[in-house]
Amino acid sequence: MTDIAITINGTAWEGTVEPRLSLADLIRGELTLTGTHLGCEHGVCGACNVEVDGVPMRSCLMPAAAADGCAITTIEGQYGEMAERLRAAFTTHHALQCGFCTSGMMATALDILRRGLGRDEATIRRELAGNICRCTGYQGIVAAILHVAQETTP
Amino acid sequence: MKFPAFDYARPAGLDAALDLLAGEAAVLSGGQSLSPMMGFRVARPEKLVDISRLSALRGAALEPDGTLVIGAAVTHAMIEDGALPGPLGGFLARVAGGIAYRAIRNRGTIGGSLCQADPAADWPCVMSLLDAVLVLRRAGGERQVPVRAFLLGHLMTAIEPGELLTVIRIPPQPGARFGMAKSTRKLGEFAEGIAAACLTPGAARVTLGALEVPPATLAVDPALVTGPQPARLTSSPLYAAVDAALKAADATDPAGYRHHLAVLTGCRALIEAAQP
Amino acid sequence: MDSHHDSNLSNSSQVGQPFTRLEDRRHLAGQGGFVADLRLPGIRDVAFLRSSMAHARLGPIAVPADAPAGAVWTAEAFHGLVKPIRAVLDRPAYRPSDQPVMAEGTVRHVGEIVAAVLADNRALAEDLAERLEPAYDPLPAITDPEQALLPESAPLHPGWADNVYMTMGRTTGDFDAMVARADVHVTRHLRMERVAAMPLETRGCVARFDRGSGVLTLWIATQRPHLIRTMLAEQLTGIEERDIRVIAPDVGGGFGGKSNLYPEEILLAAMAMRLPHPVRWIEDRWEHMVSASHSRQHVQTITAHATKEGELLAVDVRFLVDGGAYAMRTSTPAVEANMASSVLPGPYKFQAYRFEATTVATNKTPVGPFRGVGRPAAVFAMERIMEETAAAIGMDPVEFRLRNMIQPEEHPFTTISGLVYDSGDYPSLLTKAAQSIRAPGKGDAPANIAIGIGFGCYTEQTAHGAQEWHRRGSPFVYGFEAARVRIDPSGGVLVSTGIQSHGQGLETSLAQIAGDVLGVSYDRVRVVHGDTELCPYGMGTVASRSLVMAGGAVEGACQRLAAKIRRIAAHNLDCAADDVLLAGGEAQGPGGSIPLDAVARIAYLELQKLPLDVEPALDILYCYRPPVETGAYSSGVHAAKVAVDLDSGHVKILDFVVAEDCGRVINPLIVDGQIAGGVAQGIGQALLEEFQYDDQGQPTKVTLADYLVPGAPELVNVRIIHQETLSPFTVHGAKGLGEGGAIGPPAAVANAVSDALRQFGVDVRRVPIRPEDLWEALRP
Ligand SMILES: Cc1cc2nc3c(=O)[nH]c(=O)nc-3n(C[C@H](O)[C@H](O)[C@H](O)COP(=O)(O)OP(=O)(O)OC[C@H]3O[C@@H](n4cnc5c(N)ncnc54)[C@H](O)[C@@H]3O)c2cc1C
Ligand code: FES
Ligand code: FES
Repeated sequence: MTDIAITINGTAWEGTVEPRLSLADLIRGELTLTGTHLGCEHGVCGACNVEVDGVPMRSCLMPAAAADGCAITTIEGQYGEMAERLRAAFTTHHALQCGFCTSGMMATALDILRRGLGRDEATIRRELAGNICRCTGYQGIVAAILHVAQETTP
Repeated sequence: MKFPAFDYARPAGLDAALDLLAGEAAVLSGGQSLSPMMGFRVARPEKLVDISRLSALRGAALEPDGTLVIGAAVTHAMIEDGALPGPLGGFLARVAGGIAYRAIRNRGTIGGSLCQADPAADWPCVMSLLDAVLVLRRAGGERQVPVRAFLLGHLMTAIEPGELLTVIRIPPQPGARFGMAKSTRKLGEFAEGIAAACLTPGAARVTLGALEVPPATLAVDPALVTGPQPARLTSSPLYAAVDAALKAADATDPAGYRHHLAVLTGCRALIEAAQP
Repeated sequence: MDSHHDSNLSNSSQVGQPFTRLEDRRHLAGQGGFVADLRLPGIRDVAFLRSSMAHARLGPIAVPADAPAGAVWTAEAFHGLVKPIRAVLDRPAYRPSDQPVMAEGTVRHVGEIVAAVLADNRALAEDLAERLEPAYDPLPAITDPEQALLPESAPLHPGWADNVYMTMGRTTGDFDAMVARADVHVTRHLRMERVAAMPLETRGCVARFDRGSGVLTLWIATQRPHLIRTMLAEQLTGIEERDIRVIAPDVGGGFGGKSNLYPEEILLAAMAMRLPHPVRWIEDRWEHMVSASHSRQHVQTITAHATKEGELLAVDVRFLVDGGAYAMRTSTPAVEANMASSVLPGPYKFQAYRFEATTVATNKTPVGPFRGVGRPAAVFAMERIMEETAAAIGMDPVEFRLRNMIQPEEHPFTTISGLVYDSGDYPSLLTKAAQSIRAPGKGDAPANIAIGIGFGCYTEQTAHGAQEWHRRGSPFVYGFEAARVRIDPSGGVLVSTGIQSHGQGLETSLAQIAGDVLGVSYDRVRVVHGDTELCPYGMGTVASRSLVMAGGAVEGACQRLAAKIRRIAAHNLDCAADDVLLAGGEAQGPGGSIPLDAVARIAYLELQKLPLDVEPALDILYCYRPPVETGAYSSGVHAAKVAVDLDSGHVKILDFVVAEDCGRVINPLIVDGQIAGGVAQGIGQALLEEFQYDDQGQPTKVTLADYLVPGAPELVNVRIIHQETLSPFTVHGAKGLGEGGAIGPPAAVANAVSDALRQFGVDVRRVPIRPEDLWEALRP
């Protein structure tokens, strides 16, 4: 067992975890933040993407122990202006159907916007490659990101 | 699909890490290859030593003679974002940006990728092209191994138990221009054909990955690279030359598609290197 | 979204509006509730040990000595508690196969359940499961449908003479005469490989048995909670249907893959009934790849006989489908080939039709429905042969198709295979799609790139009723959908239905329908679904039926409720009920109005204002059974423009146009989303997705890194053209559309690639199209 201390959605949390527990299972289990989903547990689908120290990572591939000392933000804690704009755009552009990929998509989409890569469709599509959506065909997602990028760049 | 049980340690310094590794432990770097393998339970290390935050392995520097030194725990994303100084930085940033997906690049490391030794991976191919030398340390010792002697085959390297890859040293490549080509069915997935090429005044070489064997570096007549190319590469003299060189290396089934893709991506990498 | 609508609905109507979805908010806040998100005190996890052999005799399973008592459950533990699954089809030619809930004696595919392990958490359950040692005695594996038909392939199932689940065939029209009349005879041998629905959420089930009430509650990621409940009652001993409650919470995609009755659900139920705590099984992706239903896998031979002037006279087709190891309930593996043979004619008319449809058993994961069932394969066969026939007679492929299409005025039209089409204008769809995709021209491509354009035209039977299900031999004759609509004393509207929404946006579309009738805004309507205790009986969300059928039910229930509201309002407004209009949240009479909440209060709590002859409360159950039960036919034309890299064989989609007609569009945003999502899956099937097995029956693609589903870079924005030909047979004139998007792409993409490569004498015979195959074919 390993003691860890993390910040989760702005709140400090300390606890003891089994080393084999993934960050995803910690978040979904003891932390009861079930907005982070598991679609493959082998790094391909991106449903488990969360923000670790400000950048998206696969929470399924990371032992919770390795996140010791890190600040983690899940969908439940994404409340900046950009996140709110993105939420609105996801709805207007019908960027979700079943909603299972959505929290991972939001994490990636926010990162795309922050890195200033939301300005053309081809770049957005390339940057979304690591997130699978089986429902939408991505077009609403691409449109939503494009929309927010246009809204927020002068 | 849950990880099998293991012990976890994150030593604060390099020496502590080497001591731990001396006692039957495995290295955890970014975990972007090791974790899926543990999930499928094809890897079951009893103890993991997390080296991903060791500051000694997280930097990059240019030595006075132009040798580029990269810490093993530097992530793909750091390289993509320009962490490498010197003339190679731009090319390596582009290589890094083509690996997997950003969320993976944020954790995956160059050292992990070399030690994983997936023949289809990017760093083993590119580092072979650049004649990189790997610094392997163990408690009380160090050796330097050229990457071409390090990579032994599919998921096989010359690393010994207790050893840690600490630094990758890339010799200066004066006047060199580079190119890279990959062929994937789906963006970000491991390549079916991968090649990196280097063009210097008077010489051209290309390294082909995604073979059954370690990346193969072939010399090509630079005149074939710099001239105009026909629209169908497969009918070019360049294609014929790379094809012949790969056949001579005896690394593939010469009639198979994989062979063809290796040659094709090789040509594309060379042509890219020749672009002004 | 790039789409335009020809609609003439009035603006005051909510039906037809692109309203944003009511379900989005919870998902965007991370507050969806999927089965794996459920937290129950004392819950323990189940991991299954699954067969690593494709075909073997199964001996005893060695359990480690330190395994805790009660942790390992083998088949004997379930003796007398569960019955094998038997999927029946009321057809003499069909042969059922019992699917064991847990393997006993023999295993017949990699992934079949061999034992269940119970532990405090999933990791511990997996630890023990991997230490179990089943004794396998390998048997030869059948890994290909053609191999299954060979005389030396021993029957996989006891009592079977061969490996055929079902074979049937028929000739309609004067076949020989038409063949004799034809100038050209074009044949192709085609393959459509094995794929799966592959929802992003895997399957999962939580079961809890309440000893006090005797109620067994199951939370299942399923598309049809009521039917699963009915079937569970049949499969389990010692419990009645009344005492089973099935809840489908938020479901992360289904596409048919979550419409089957699965052994895991039965096992979890049986375990929960014997345990003092709830149990949970959340499937991992590997399990999903080997044990959730697979689909398609056709071997086809098709011949078109046509005149040199371009008249299609006759079609001859043979479908051979690899049904996998067992017949899944309810659809059976035979549904794929049977459906393909009946829908093959699509939008075309011709004089004679001969088909043979055969489904065989192999040592592979069982086959079940996936978006489109049979149609993607039928359209692939038909449209490939249309394309090749046009080429053979030297006619433009669009012109050839137009010449043979059913004309709009011919509806209702009975196809050569006996289907009755209600409405549709196919030539117009094709013309629009062709104009749109051809408009920019093929452009200038470098010499190593070949560009091609291809089409896939289809009709899609949706929302069929009892008559059609009965004709197909379905043991359950589906044919209605129910809705209960309540208005509570404060005026809030609650709709509950028997369908299940897992991405289709039915919480929104149905609210729009209810809102229109009741004169309230759709966001005041809450739609509840997926819970057998809270919702009236229904068939679930399959077969592109939910919107039409549940929409009909909601409309009917609301109409009845509206009539009642008008009467109450009229009584209090002193006017005639006919003069009361429901709008803006009010009941409006000629001389005044009453807010809906006031009417509701009267109905429940101010009975002194309620006429004596009006039953109190505002609560209505209505079952919709369509007056005509042969279904409403949607139709569409998919057009793809592709670039083929002649050096590598890679195919890139450049443009994709869908011209489609699903009758009245209830919510264009949702409709376009369904189409784009379906097209993505269809493109996946055309270019990327396939399961493969080695000759021992070992699946070689069991991760999402090997089984490739399309990502954003592999797709383009689908350009959608809507045409609304209202169905005369449905309430809103709506037709189903859930599946259409996935039907056309394999054909359209294969035709586009064939068009690009025609100059080299290469045409596509197989989907997915593999770069290595094209490269091989293009080699000098
Ligand atoms: C979906 C997906 C797609 C991917 N696509 C690509 C791709 O296109 N191209 C590509 O190149 N890679 C790809 N990868 C792999 C990725 O680049 C990994 O990050 C990389 O291969 C391993 O780096 P890591 O730091 O994550 O190593 P880890 O997973 O931590 O370790 C890998 C192995 O190396 C050993 N090891 C690690 N560091 C050291 C060290 N310093 N000394 C000694 N031993 C060490 C470990 O013990 C382990 O055996 C992909 C991965 C995923 C999950
Ligand atoms: S669950 Fe982590 S990438 Fe799929
Ligand atoms: S909305 Fe269902 S997976 Fe994206």
